[in-house]
Amino acid sequence: MTYDSKGNEFKLDMLKELGNIGAGHATTALSKLLGNKKLTLVVPEAVIVGMQESMRLCGGPESLVGATYIRVSGGLCGHMALLLPYESVQSLLGYLLGAAPQDLSDMELSTLQEVGNIVVTSYLNALADMTHTELYPSVPAVAVDMAAAVWSSILAGAEVADYITIVQTAFQTDAEIIDGTIAFIPDEEDLSKLLDALGMGEL
Amino acid sequence: MTAMANTILVVDDTAFMRMMIKNVVQKHGYQVIGEAGDGEEAIAKYKELHPDLVTMDITMPKLDGISAIKAIVEYDPQAKIIVCSAMGQKNMVIEALKSGAKDFLVKPFEADRVIEALQKAVG
Amino acid sequence: MKEVFVNIGEIQVLKQRGRLVAVGLGSCVGLILYDALAKVGGMAHVFLPTNKRGGANEHPGKFADTAILAMVEQMTSLGAQKRRLTAKMAGGSQLFSYGAPFMDVGRQNVEALQRELQAAGIPLAGSDVLGSRGRKLIFDVATGQVLVFVIGEDPVEL
Repeated sequence: MTYDSKGNEFKLDMLKELGNIGAGHATTALSKLLGNKKLTLVVPEAVIVGMQESMRLCGGPESLVGATYIRVSGGLCGHMALLLPYESVQSLLGYLLGAAPQDLSDMELSTLQEVGNIVVTSYLNALADMTHTELYPSVPAVAVDMAAAVWSSILAGAEVADYITIVQTAFQTDAEIIDGTIAFIPDEEDLSKLLDALGMGEL
Repeated sequence: MTAMANTILVVDDTAFMRMMIKNVVQKHGYQVIGEAGDGEEAIAKYKELHPDLVTMDITMPKLDGISAIKAIVEYDPQAKIIVCSAMGQKNMVIEALKSGAKDFLVKPFEADRVIEALQKAVG
Repeated sequence: MKEVFVNIGEIQVLKQRGRLVAVGLGSCVGLILYDALAKVGGMAHVFLPTNKRGGANEHPGKFADTAILAMVEQMTSLGAQKRRLTAKMAGGSQLFSYGAPFMDVGRQNVEALQRELQAAGIPLAGSDVLGSRGRKLIFDVATGQVLVFVIGEDPVEL
């Protein structure tokens, strides 16, 4: 760990705030996609956790989830994911494609991919604006499977160390059953750059 | 006199977004004559089909939208390209416009904005 | 019956009875070693082929190139003999589709473990690897039975 605990506390507070603003933009975009349905952000969190503990972010390990994963490059490298419980995937696809699908064909996966793209990129746009950097999203990857398998594959793709800094924001709609989590895993090496960009490098 | 419908090439890596854009523009009398899922395909389709208008995504596999815009504008300086991308960061918008795009719509966009941009581009 | 969950990066070993379980194997691989005579079994939940970051490695089970040796050591201390060990494995899939050439970790894990097993002289008696689905792995140490579960499908015995 590069920072002492006081530094960590500041770092996490700052990340939480960034997460809050990023997720605010992301959910505004999602709300627009859903015909301006009201979306509520639930407790943004920034934590440093072990790999096993991070599993709880994605719900029950064997529950079915839909996930979009995007690699972030540019001023702040890292990894972003939009995680949706399967029921939410179904409501979302039902809304966007007109009927809740029986199983997921190319069009359904492509829809999930585009929703993830718009949500995550909106988050990055806000983050880029705040930190005066450019953040480039990769083409999104999509998976629908056991939560733990999906999440651990993301962590493996990110080649994370034993402890992971995660900024995550849960959201939900009031009426419809669409809820989910937006997770951001900044690369440790780049976090100090981010602190610098915000004038907090000395912490 | 009946005007010929303006032809459009829709470029986006997701089939879902291509469908959304197609639905919007067809409702307003435009004719989608081709689709492409990446920048390379976009360039090839442009040379083959010579559409009046192109809607262009940025983040795509193989070749990104900015590179595709540059290649298309080099081939046809009169090309009318509208960017439709979630990637709305200031520098990206500037780069797209500098590369020859006529307008930049940030996803998720309203149908009206798409039509407005297309109308403005064909003049 | 005693059921021990093998979390990411862990190695767990049991003697005589009990089940070893790995949940949520995506690109990770569940590697099983078994001495059927001594009834000593072990499972590792392998995360990556090798420790690219360098530095101290407190979790040998996390990497393909350190998991086998560490597991064999733990098993021999329970009475297993290395020459009697056989291996089975499941996992190493590529769950994500579209634009993710950088997510080929599953295949790399499988290939690394195959190499390491060969180098250690441990025969691979069964495997269910690669593909695009997440897996759950249950290993009954008393009987040696290994079951692989995929959502929406009947379990497969390795």
